[in-house]
Amino acid sequence: MRLAGARGSLAFRRRTAPGLACLGLTLAAAPALGHAVSGSDAAFVGAIDGVAVAPFIYLGAKHMVTGYDHLLFLAGVIFFLHRLRDVALYVTLFTAGHSLTLLAGVLGGWRANPWLVDAIIGFSIVYKAFENMDGFRRVFGVSPNAKAAVFVFGLCHGLGLATKLQDLLVSPNGRLANLLSFNAGVEIGQFSALALLLGAFALWRVRRGFSRHAYAANVALLAGGFMLAGYQLGGMVLAPA
Amino acid sequence: MKAGPQRPVWRILAAVFGAAAFAAVALFGAVLPAEFGYDPFGAGAALGLTGLSRDVTTVLAPQEEGFATDEATWVLSPFESFEYKYRFEEGAGMVYAWQASGTLLYELHSEPDGAEPGYAETFDRARAAGAAGAYVAPFPGIHGWFWENRGDMEVTLTLASAGFYGGAFEYFGGVPRERAVRRPRPALEPSPAAPSAATVASVRLAPAAGARGGPNEPTPREAPP
Repeated sequence: MRLAGARGSLAFRRRTAPGLACLGLTLAAAPALGHAVSGSDAAFVGAIDGVAVAPFIYLGAKHMVTGYDHLLFLAGVIFFLHRLRDVALYVTLFTAGHSLTLLAGVLGGWRANPWLVDAIIGFSIVYKAFENMDGFRRVFGVSPNAKAAVFVFGLCHGLGLATKLQDLLVSPNGRLANLLSFNAGVEIGQFSALALLLGAFALWRVRRGFSRHAYAANVALLAGGFMLAGYQLGGMVLAPA
Repeated sequence: MKAGPQRPVWRILAAVFGAAAFAAVALFGAVLPAEFGYDPFGAGAALGLTGLSRDVTTVLAPQEEGFATDEATWVLSPFESFEYKYRFEEGAGMVYAWQASGTLLYELHSEPDGAEPGYAETFDRARAAGAAGAYVAPFPGIHGWFWENRGDMEVTLTLASAGFYGGAFEYFGGVPRERAVRRPRPALEPSPAAPSAATVASVRLAPAAGARGGPNEPTPREAPP
């Protein structure tokens, strides 16, 4: 990137700051990954026998807000959407996708390998970042349908949610209500995270040099996606069953 | 076109390979050694990261006293239920295995000291003809099982355990009755200088014949000295 060049180091630092911040975020996040529901939460909901709306809403929201793989993907999706109508359209597609597989997966008892699903989620970040870098058009001369991609990756994210939620829905009592509560919580969490992301992007977009920073940030997003995917694939092969 | 100026293809590719290389270095240099102990290039060992993937507390949890073993058998009539629990301090644990001649509804749960009567935290709940595992008490209290025979046949249940528990209690109809457990290592007896009332009360220097009572025959508690 033409960032440093002949400019002074101060300017360099200021101009690269957002990209570096993004990179730092992915680095800081990487080792903490075990993105399953944490031990005490799992023990608590495992003991639930019946309808428990509030705990499952909370867990759904917490899963989304603390699940930075979902958040990074979402950041990639809304990166260049500045019209609220587009944001609403893409987020609706993503929501429709993950709700569909979450509900169908839990009700149908589908179980995917959680490591593999999370690796695909990592690759969804790689995909989106590459698309944001205009890579598909420039490198391959194709423009894949972005809306379809968001929907399909939504399906993958939902499958991951379904696999994890089934470990928590131990009792058949209140299963459907708890499932719907979890789904509602996921959307609440996504909405909260989205509000923050949109605010941050709105502030960032009006700054000079946004497009250069945006490119650097998407390269960082790409690296983060590779890392998440590599970590999950590593876990699939190496983690004790 | 999204990201402003047109970038040459080679720069985009370089960025992709750079990102992938960066991710690979971070993964093989830190994440995989630290998370899974997988260290093909020795970078994790050089950085002292490989120990992170071992959960030290579950590898070894030294205990000073209270080692006991226990074996018991019960016969449950149809729709009969009871509870069997041990007294644990926080961090003390046991290994256990139980087996039944038919399917039982069971629950492994614990009542923390000082909690209101009836409050319990459940860790495992299912229908099965047996279960086995290791348990570490997350808090001081009374920890154990509830079993219920929901079938129409008599079911014989046998439990064996070894661990660091203070005493065993059997609850038929909610009334606790203490059962003696075996203390096979007299050397682990608390020193006379600091006797723990609860432990001394149930210590036996040799396995007592009565400690292996038949079904539904709890051994009477020994009188405290």
